[in-house]
Amino acid sequence: MGSYLATEEQVSTWLHLLAKERDLFWPRSVGQFNYSFLPLGERDEICFDRYLPTIVPPGRRLLPDDETLFTSQQGDDRLSHYLPPQPSAPMVLAGVRPCDLKGITQLDTVMAAAPADPYYHQRRVNTVIIAMNCLAPCDSRCFCSAVGALGAQDGADVFLTLLAEGVLVESLSARGDEILVKASFSLCEDGKERRLVAEGTRPLPFGRELAVVPEALPEMLRKGYESPVYHRYGERCYSCGTCNLVCPTCYCFEVRDEMSLDGFSGRRSRTWDSCMIPAFAEVAGPHNFRAEVGERQRHRLKRKFEYLPERFGLGSFCVGCGRCGRQCTANIDILNMVNDIAVEVGGGS
Amino acid sequence: MKPKVAFFDFASCEGCQLALLNCEDDLLAILAQVELVEFREAISEQAGRYDIAFIEGSIHREQDIERLYDIRSRSKVLVALGACACNGNVQARSNFVAPAENYKAVYGEEDRNRVQVDGEYWPLWTHTRVRAVHEVVKVDYQLRGCPMQPTEFLHLLKSLLTGREPSFPANAVCVECKKNENECVYDRGLACFGPIAFGGCDAICINSGHLCDGCRGLLPYANVKAHRQLLKEMGIDITSVQNRYRLHLSNEPDAGEVRR
Ligand code: SF4
Ligand code: SF4
Repeated sequence: MGSYLATEEQVSTWLHLLAKERDLFWPRSVGQFNYSFLPLGERDEICFDRYLPTIVPPGRRLLPDDETLFTSQQGDDRLSHYLPPQPSAPMVLAGVRPCDLKGITQLDTVMAAAPADPYYHQRRVNTVIIAMNCLAPCDSRCFCSAVGALGAQDGADVFLTLLAEGVLVESLSARGDEILVKASFSLCEDGKERRLVAEGTRPLPFGRELAVVPEALPEMLRKGYESPVYHRYGERCYSCGTCNLVCPTCYCFEVRDEMSLDGFSGRRSRTWDSCMIPAFAEVAGPHNFRAEVGERQRHRLKRKFEYLPERFGLGSFCVGCGRCGRQCTANIDILNMVNDIAVEVGGGS
Repeated sequence: MKPKVAFFDFASCEGCQLALLNCEDDLLAILAQVELVEFREAISEQAGRYDIAFIEGSIHREQDIERLYDIRSRSKVLVALGACACNGNVQARSNFVAPAENYKAVYGEEDRNRVQVDGEYWPLWTHTRVRAVHEVVKVDYQLRGCPMQPTEFLHLLKSLLTGREPSFPANAVCVECKKNENECVYDRGLACFGPIAFGGCDAICINSGHLCDGCRGLLPYANVKAHRQLLKEMGIDITSVQNRYRLHLSNEPDAGEVRR
């Protein structure tokens, strides 16, 4: 688990080498202002430090949309037979920022909790993660530091930091060592010290700030249950679901069965779903547990800052990547919403 | 016995029926499962009762209404096929423009003057309110879009044949934009109807670099007020917004009139 120092070119060559063996995803520019984790092609240039959080987070690669759960086929015995899904190919998620890394490790825990999700697990054990340190906030939406995601390293196999003298490459796992065998970087004895020096140059505060410490949020949200803030934001909301679909710790899905026209074969799949969409909480009756948009906003917020943190003890399930605000056409920003509630219930520090 | 399936067209371009003929791969499998009893694009014959009747097009004239009543009374399941049948589509624009103005815009003043005095020239040049099928008879399922989406057609047919309830999620187009990781049209500084319009189209227009004009109709929970406000804040001229509403959405209760 050594540390190395390399030039951007050397790292780029190494990544391209890895990409020949298996799918390697790196943030690539999409349209004018956006990025997306896309397979690195032979001729693709790698931009090391000039990318924003992608439209959807890298963790979505572990929970792909329209994923096959099983298929069925009629056999010679005229009975329907279960066929498991094709195992997924090994992949590398590279250029993963600490916020997204924290999101993935939180998904790991959620998906391992009973009933464990075998589909997620199968992909996860086949996935190597090369993370990329942040030394400055990505843009004016970022608040990873406020929710304790900035320092995340857990879950990464290799950890990159851009230093003035080159790229610091730290191996954090046996799998990291394994993929670094192919590299010809020079060993760096004081890697950790160099990283800490670089991290010391981060601006303070790093990105936007929460009005209360994250630990105080569950209590604050309980106090503010009836807060009009949710409904005020709700007035602008389209219930389009974007904020959920771009969130590194949202994982809800809808299951669908589709038969062939002759009825002899079929496929069960799951697709991304979102608790901001009105039909999400609709049940027989018909009754909707969260018919009002303000109630859905409250639910989304409490999932991130109260329900999941209290259930799993892994801190805030909002990792501060800023995606939901960035991608929302109505400019509804979750941090602004929390801070408005804090002001209202007087939880401000 | 195979279920009897029939297609009927009213005011439309028949593009949805063509879109169906484009599902070549599945067409034979479909024909193996159903008995096609009326399909102007392919065969012509009258059959008594239908298990599934697909209605394409919007309803313009008194005699259309009579015909539709008749089809409904002979059909177990009635499906509105495509944007014209589901939301009146482009035709419904004429609910807001006097026929004389419309006629002049298309055929010129001279022709307009003639049609107004010559009863034989084109008796159909005026018509009653343009209606979607559900404004006239009970509709069991809607296959939205201009044209309809063949995958949704197949899903509906398979569901009906196997006795399952088909699912057409009432989701905004934005959902499919996220699944396809499209850059949002708003990021390009343009206005999109995706946040208030029915998805199910796989965001096909945005995937290919256009924007959404809402051909699949407004969502039941469309936040039209917020959308107006957003466009206003973007400095978009209200008449151009009105024109975009009039393209596919004239018959939507909230969208017909854009106030200054
Ligand atoms: S992305 Fe914005 S408009 Fe869409 S559901 Fe979320 S908060 Fe509402
Ligand atoms: S481009 Fe349109 S449909 Fe797509 S996310 Fe943006 S507003 Fe929604």
